[in-house]
Amino acid sequence: MSRLRNVAVVAFAQAPVVARDEHRMATEMLYPQVRRALADCGVERSAIDYQVAGSADYIDGRPFGFVGALEVMGSWPPTQDLHLEMDAAFAAHYAWIRMQAGDCDTALVCGHGKVSEGEPRRILNLELDPYYQAPIGLDPLATAALQASAFMARTGTTDRRLAEIAARNRAAGARNPDVQVRSSASADELARTPWAVEPLRTGYVPPLGESAVALVLAAEGKAERMCDRPAWIHGTDQRIELQTLGARDLSRSPSARLAAERALAMAGATSAADVDLVELSAATPVEELILCEALGIDADRSSPALNPSGGPLVGHPLMMTGLIRLGEAFRQLAGRAGDHAVAGARRAIAHATNGHCLQQNLFWVLGTERRWT
Amino acid sequence: MKRPVAVVGVGQTRHASRRAELSIADLVREAVDRALLDAGLEHRDIDAVVVGKAPDQLEGVMQPEQFLAGALGAHLKPLIRVHTAGSVGASTAIAAMTHVASGLFERVLTVAFEKQSEGNAMWALSPKMPFTAPLVAGAGGFFAPYCRAYIARTGAPLHIGPMIAANARANAARNEYAHLREPMTVEDVTNSPVLWDPIRYLETCPSSDGACALVLASEAQARRGPRRPAWVKSAASYAEAMWVPGRDQVNPLAGRVCAKHVFERAGIRDPWREIQTAEIYVPFSWFEAMWLENLGFCDVGQGWHIVDRGEQRFGAHLPINPSGGVLCTNPIGASGMLRLGEAALQVMGRAGDHQVDGVKNALGHAYGGGAQYFAMWVVSTEH
Repeated sequence: MSRLRNVAVVAFAQAPVVARDEHRMATEMLYPQVRRALADCGVERSAIDYQVAGSADYIDGRPFGFVGALEVMGSWPPTQDLHLEMDAAFAAHYAWIRMQAGDCDTALVCGHGKVSEGEPRRILNLELDPYYQAPIGLDPLATAALQASAFMARTGTTDRRLAEIAARNRAAGARNPDVQVRSSASADELARTPWAVEPLRTGYVPPLGESAVALVLAAEGKAERMCDRPAWIHGTDQRIELQTLGARDLSRSPSARLAAERALAMAGATSAADVDLVELSAATPVEELILCEALGIDADRSSPALNPSGGPLVGHPLMMTGLIRLGEAFRQLAGRAGDHAVAGARRAIAHATNGHCLQQNLFWVLGTERRWT
Repeated sequence: MKRPVAVVGVGQTRHASRRAELSIADLVREAVDRALLDAGLEHRDIDAVVVGKAPDQLEGVMQPEQFLAGALGAHLKPLIRVHTAGSVGASTAIAAMTHVASGLFERVLTVAFEKQSEGNAMWALSPKMPFTAPLVAGAGGFFAPYCRAYIARTGAPLHIGPMIAANARANAARNEYAHLREPMTVEDVTNSPVLWDPIRYLETCPSSDGACALVLASEAQARRGPRRPAWVKSAASYAEAMWVPGRDQVNPLAGRVCAKHVFERAGIRDPWREIQTAEIYVPFSWFEAMWLENLGFCDVGQGWHIVDRGEQRFGAHLPINPSGGVLCTNPIGASGMLRLGEAALQVMGRAGDHQVDGVKNALGHAYGGGAQYFAMWVVSTEH
């Protein structure tokens, strides 16, 4: 890999995930996070030379929901800007590409959306092929259940195993003040919860939640001045695959495997197992297992730590879940993870996804040291 | 920009109010196949795909790039989906350009589309914003007061809007891909009903089904290509907040800043003399006069004089929208990319019957939101 520009996460702020913030609209939820993130890295908005956000109009329940975010991201005087209709982690990825192009040194990345304003199970049905698949009425729980069935059939994974993974995430989430579900639950308890859609139980899927997220990226030369312990990006890659559910082996994610391989290669890492923690945008225990397989790590081993934040099972604000994974990796490497800190964490992997059944996957490999010298 | 980037392929659909014979995927493929053919490349040559379109409510498909991944040839490639309101086609192409400029990608396919016949644009473009009275009047109802303010501010006579609309249609008659190509006179326009004062029916963009695709490539690839490339000299996307006290909606600062940025980086000091043609985003007639000022082609208050003197017509000093522009073709998400693609075709010398003579530098421009989002590039025959 040729030498790239060292870029780091230098600040992260997240509104605690809640089922519904009754009193604030999306931009009101976002504004304090923008201010906190800027305060976190000790700069004013004028010090940031690029801004990019991720959100979805259908989540906002109206067209142009993102336009309002301009008001709170600091878009006066006019600023160089972009908005992606995706999880905000992809917005961070684009900001990183822009820094590689030399077009900016610092970037504010935001994710927002009032998930509670609509019915995500009906809304996310509209992501599917409008001619052949959406009319069947498949929603994200149904497609996740198809994926879980395929995975369990191929690997012999048991219901008990899913319960244990969910229990581990619940236990981790109990230590993270920003998540929605802050109570631990045993595998026995979770295995007794009713089916959401068989073979997924209600204890294996996240509740609906909303949040607002701001993250700051900075290139070498500025990052060190903005953060005492920047989380340097060592490698990153993203890939999409076909959506057509019947044309895919839903028990595997080739786009995740390829993106992971490329991100690790860019990072000069031989194995994902060498990192200290992994934050995965896995909305079910089966997605966690599929992603572990794609990364080549054993979900049963204690290292790397899997979703020490509790992961999406305890807080899944759509279009923000992925950026929160990157923010959590930063918190771990910067020593700001509080009660859910992984002791001595020096390298981390963060993952984001978009679409049904892990259709599109983005990986980040981060470390406490610069990648390129 | 870390390294030079060129447009090496341009493709667009035939635009019409209803391409009922095509699915959304078919529509996108019509443009993508033409862009790849134009570039002499195949899907396997493409390193990443950058997709743009306006609100998903227009077709009723959320993040349609997910189901289009196959049709876009994006399987196992990086893909992003951009949405910056009306400017999206342009900001999408610029994001694709950044991919190549980064050195990480050699050939990037970018595509933007809208299949307006699948939904109802008036509904989809009448958002209920918090704490704001809903206009329920679409984009025209939103922008008509901006045009009235321009007229009040500059004293522009009322025939200027109809002149712009009639000229756009005369241009579209030379563009085989355009949606509305029937010629019309200034009198025809003036006799059409007022929809939103001062905007008349024939001064309004149509609702179109259409797509545009471009292939952006590195210098090494551009030198290998079958055709003369269009070099991207500079590009930028700027946005400004809406509710800033004193914000000038008629001559928005974001547009001025963005134009200054791209002209400076392209080494252009006097755009009126150094740009030979411009494709600018004019969904309602009066915006042509307004943007001539906002872009710095003339002083404030002089835009309508350029129109009155006919200096922006085809064959005159600075032909604006020789393709007929948004007034004649408006697949919303694609409209910005069409402006940038048409500018590229002009410097490539391949704009067919609407080719402007002697184009060295061309501007492509789009805007969106409440005249808040601006995206532009300057393309050139020279590196």
